[in-house]
Formats: sequence, structure tokens, C-alpha cells
Amino acid sequence: MTIVRTEKLCKVYNPDTVPVHALNNVCIEVDEGEFTALRGPSGSGKTTLLNMIGGLDKPTEGKVFIDGHEISSMKDSKRIDFRLQNIGFVFQHYNLIPVFTAAENVAFIMMLQGRDKQEIRKRTDKLLDQVGLGDRKDARPAQLSGGQQQRVAVARALASEPRFILADEPTANLDTEAAMNLLDIMEKMNREQNITFVFSTHDQRVIDRARRVVTMVDGAIDQDEIQDPDKT
Amino acid sequence: MNTFLKLAWRNIWRNKRRTMITISAIVFAVLAAIVMQSMNRGSYEVMIDRMVSFSTGYLQVQDYRYDREASLDNAFHYDDALGETVLSADTRIERVVPRLETFMLAANDVSTRGSVVFGVDPEKEQAFNQIDNYLAEGRFVESNEYTAVMGKGLADRLQLDVGDTLALIGQGRFGMSASGLFEITGLLEHPIHDMNNSAVYLPLGTAQELLSAEEHITGLLISVQQARQTDAVAASLRSTLEDGELVVFTWPELMPELLELMEMDLAVPRLLTLVLYVVIGLGFFGTVLTMTMERLREFGVLLSVGMKRGSLSLVLFIETLIISIMAVASGILLSWVLLKLVDPIALSGEAAQAVIDMGFDPVIPMSFAPDQFFVQGLYVFVIALIVFLFPLVKILRLNILEAARS
Ligand SMILES: Nc1ncnc2c1ncn2[C@@H]1O[C@H](COP(=O)(O)OP(=O)(O)O)[C@@H](O)[C@H]1O
Ligand SMILES: [Mg+2]
Repeated sequence: MTIVRTEKLCKVYNPDTVPVHALNNVCIEVDEGEFTALRGPSGSGKTTLLNMIGGLDKPTEGKVFIDGHEISSMKDSKRIDFRLQNIGFVFQHYNLIPVFTAAENVAFIMMLQGRDKQEIRKRTDKLLDQVGLGDRKDARPAQLSGGQQQRVAVARALASEPRFILADEPTANLDTEAAMNLLDIMEKMNREQNITFVFSTHDQRVIDRARRVVTMVDGAIDQDEIQDPDKT
Repeated sequence: MNTFLKLAWRNIWRNKRRTMITISAIVFAVLAAIVMQSMNRGSYEVMIDRMVSFSTGYLQVQDYRYDREASLDNAFHYDDALGETVLSADTRIERVVPRLETFMLAANDVSTRGSVVFGVDPEKEQAFNQIDNYLAEGRFVESNEYTAVMGKGLADRLQLDVGDTLALIGQGRFGMSASGLFEITGLLEHPIHDMNNSAVYLPLGTAQELLSAEEHITGLLISVQQARQTDAVAASLRSTLEDGELVVFTWPELMPELLELMEMDLAVPRLLTLVLYVVIGLGFFGTVLTMTMERLREFGVLLSVGMKRGSLSLVLFIETLIISIMAVASGILLSWVLLKLVDPIALSGEAAQAVIDMGFDPVIPMSFAPDQFFVQGLYVFVIALIVFLFPLVKILRLNILEAARS
């Protein structure tokens, strides 16, 4: 089942001054249960594409559909709510609320969704256990390592039970061990719970673990291949 | 909601030092503003209180012509029935105090002085303003005596003392000549400077007889349980006395000059307060500005993951509000304690003498009027609202991607 579908997506930054064509007619589909890496050199448009799919920015031309809903034409407030219910985000840099503990960061999203308190507590515990931070629930982000922070971010992204999770260079700031650890967790969730992941990266070790690799060059899709991660 | 509150509370303490400095600055402004006001108003409140007790009453019933021409000809008929009517017009009325007031010449054997003669009901007067407490010598007059009590200043000028005879010469109602001799039973250290040099008190009946104004008074003073009830009582009294020839005045209407003077005197502390608040407001703004700017990235993330702009604004608003509430509460508390500690400031030495010579007490009483505390809270709240506009606009306009990149 197709979750994400883009139609001739174009993005031009600064159209009036120094136009930058960040995306040129990108058409891509993502199916449920995918574990997809978006790779390409810096400036190739990975972040821009993820932002379009995640409804964080509007395309200059073209459309983005999530489960058949055209997110690219939604009004700001509606898009925010749509994101809350349907899309999980993990960003490159620290993106947790610094004054909240790990558990509070995870619970916060569910609170915004208006879930029942009891349910929030249970689910928070479960998610933090899943990312291996069951014993660091009450730690603030500053007390956690970069890898641990990203694991909390994954738990938070998952908390809202989104249709898919977008991760923009989630391992860029992590050492190898932490990066592999994060990948293990994401992979396990993908395999066991059929959670869809789309992540950008230019780290070969991360790319090796994806099942689908989409390569971008100059704002366009250059290659789109299926690989068997277990072989490499 | 609970979560937003928690978020706001913790955000405030992310930079403890900055928050403490901001709060201290506001506390200082509130404290300074209240103390300045309190000192200024304190003296006036004592004055107003005395004027109300000894001159105007909280409210006063008069003949409608008396305001234009304060003459005995415009006195009105008063008996116990009218007293009852007024007293029962409103439950907040505590008591009614009749007075007959006119100018006369006070004289000893050789010289005369202008004086203001008050015909009063001794018991009611005492109940209303405890005039006995101001007796320097002797006792107050009693009903139906041909006696007088006078201000000590006037007595000194006429070289009269307790037991001497005071002559009063003047005009009664409708031009009747009026003169009489009265034994002085007491001298008053009158709390109102002017009246100390001019007031003569006679029993009401005696004064009415002297002035050919039997059963007449010039003003019926009314005391209410609490000063702030004045206007409400005036309204109900006016409807009770409707149609008649009697009119009701409130104390601010009866002594506008004093209130104007107070307003003028308050202009300086008000201006200082304004300047203070502008400065403090800018500081507050600076804090909120940095609190906003340094978190734009975080705001971007929050909006990305699905927090509504309205909710985010609410959190920022709660932060602004908590800071102001803490500051205002401590400012009010501190100023109250400080005022309690210093009240009243007693002057000494030359300063004291100078004030005494001007006819005032050598103390500066503090005002504890509740409104001066609340008003400062209101000011700070208004400042907080203005200051909050910045993060509000910033959040409503925030471009998620730009924020995330900052
Ligand atoms: N806000 C922006 N304004 C102008 N140009 C931008 C902006 N964001 C990205 N770009 C440009 O768009 C192109 C694609 O950027 P990006 O999507 O960030 O690439 P990637 O994530 O693959 O490194 C680059 O040339 C970049 O400089
Ligand atoms: Mg990028």
C-alpha cells in the first residue's frame, strides 16, 4: 500500500533573487513497511525532499499526497495537525525539549494528541524500553549522549503512531557505535512492527543497511534500487 | 494544560540568573512606586479623614440653595423624624449628625475675631468624631447649656480660657440680630489647623435659639460603614429624598480643592513611576526577547512535531505571566512589610518644628489604601501583555524551516 506519493515535485528557493532549483520534477512513491535511504551529495536536495514529504514546506510546483491526502495544499494549522497525527520526525541536531525528561519528551506528543493519561504513561514506558532507555526515563536531554538523545527522538516520533517516520541524517552527529545502535533499533521496529522509515544519509554504513536506496543528484532522482541489506 | 504549565515553569528557570534579575527589577519598580504613592497619599488621607469627620461628613444633606449661598436663610427644617428617614434610607448609613453652621464675631472684653460657630448635638458629634479626644482643657459642651467650646488658637488670640465668658455677635436667620454670652467649658486642640483658629462649638439647641433658627440646621452629616460605599449610599439617599428641597453631596464634591491638591502632589510620583516602568518594561522586554530568540530552533521543532502555534504562544504567555505574578506578589508583599515597618515616619528637630509651624503633625503617615497595591499589579500586567506581543508575533510568523536552521 502506497503511503507517500509525490507528483512532479519542484522547489525553487529565492525565486525572485538568486533562484536555487533544489528539486526538479521529483516523482517518488513510498509503500508501507519500507526501510528506505535517501542518499546523495550535500546540496542534492535530500532535506528539501524530506521537508516536502513531511509537510514542513510547500513545493513551488507539484503535489505531495500522504495516504491520498494532498498535504502540499493544506493550510498551516491543518498541516500542523496532520503532521501530529500522521508523521513522525527525527532531525539531525538535538531536537528534544531540553527542559523535559526523556519520558516527558515522548509523552508530550501524545499529550498534544489528547490521549488518555494512563495510556500515555504505559506507551511511554514501552517505547523507551524499546529504544533501550528504560532506565534513563527521568534523564534530561543534556544528561544523555547524542546517541541516546536520538533514540529518545525515535521513541517520540513513534509515540503518535504515525503512518511513517522521516529522519533527516539521524546519525550524522553520532559515532559509529551509536549510529549502528540507532539503526538496529529502527530496523527492528521496521521488521517487527512494520513501521515505515525514510531517512537521508551520506554515511555508507547506514546506506548498506537500507532495503531501498534512492540516490539524488542535483535535485533529481538519479537511481532507485532495491538491495538486500543482509548480504553486505 | 498541566504540561504547558510545567513546560513554562521550567523554561523560566533555564536561565535562573536572568529571570531573577528581571523579577528583582520589577519588584523594585513595584516597591518604589507603592512606597512613593503611599507616602504621598498617607498625609492626604489623614487630612481627608479629618475633613470628613470635622467638616463635611462622608455625605451631607443640605437645602438645595445652601450650596450657592451658605447662609442661615438656606438652613432646613430638621427633626428626629427626618433623622430617622435618612438613617433608614440605606443600611450602610451608620449615623446622622446635624450641624448648624455660621460666621460670627467672637469677642472678649476688648477685641473681636472672626469665627465659625457650629451648633452640634454633643453625643452624636462625639460618636462621630470623638471630639472629646481633642480637648486640651476642660470638657465638651452638653445639650441645652449656654456654654461653648472653642479652638485653642482662637482662644489664645482672644486671651480666653476655660471658665471665661465668650461673646458671640452676628446675624441670625432672616437678618435677626444675634448675640449672646457663653461660658467656656473647654478648649480644643483642633486637628484641622484652620478650625483651631476659628471654631466655636455650641450645643445645637442653644445655637438655634441664638440664631433664631429653631428646629433648623444647615447640614446633616452622614457617616457610612466604609468610605467606598459613599457613592452607592448617595445614590440610594438621593432617591429617598427625591422631589424635596434637600440635596445630597459626597465628600469629594464637598472638598474638591483638597482632592485636586492631592492629585497635583501625586503627579510627581506618578511621573517617576511611569519612567520607572518604562525602564523596567524595556528590561522585561529584553528578557522575553532573548528568551524567544534563543529558542527559535526549539519552536521550529515543536511546530514540526505537531504543536499548534496557539499552544506554543500560550506557553510563552504563561512564562511572561508567571514572571510578572511572582514579581508583583513579592513587590506588594515587600512594600507592605516595609510600609508597616516605617509607618508613620516621625520627623524630628527642625524639620518637625517647620511642619508643626505650618499646622501639620510632625509625622508622615503611610497610606495602606488597597488600590495603590492593586494598581501596580495592573500596570505590570499591562506591561506583561505588551511585552508578550513580541513572542506572539514571532511565533505566529515563524517559518518552521528557517527556525530549524537558526
Ligand atoms: N532555505 C533555503 N534557501 C535557499 N537555498 C536553499 C535553502 N535550503 C536549501 N537550499 C539549497 O537547496 C539545495 C538543496 O539543499 P538541501 O535540500 O539542504 O540538500 P541536502 O539536504 O541534500 O544537503 C542546496 O543547493 C541548498 O543550498
Ligand atoms: Mg540535508
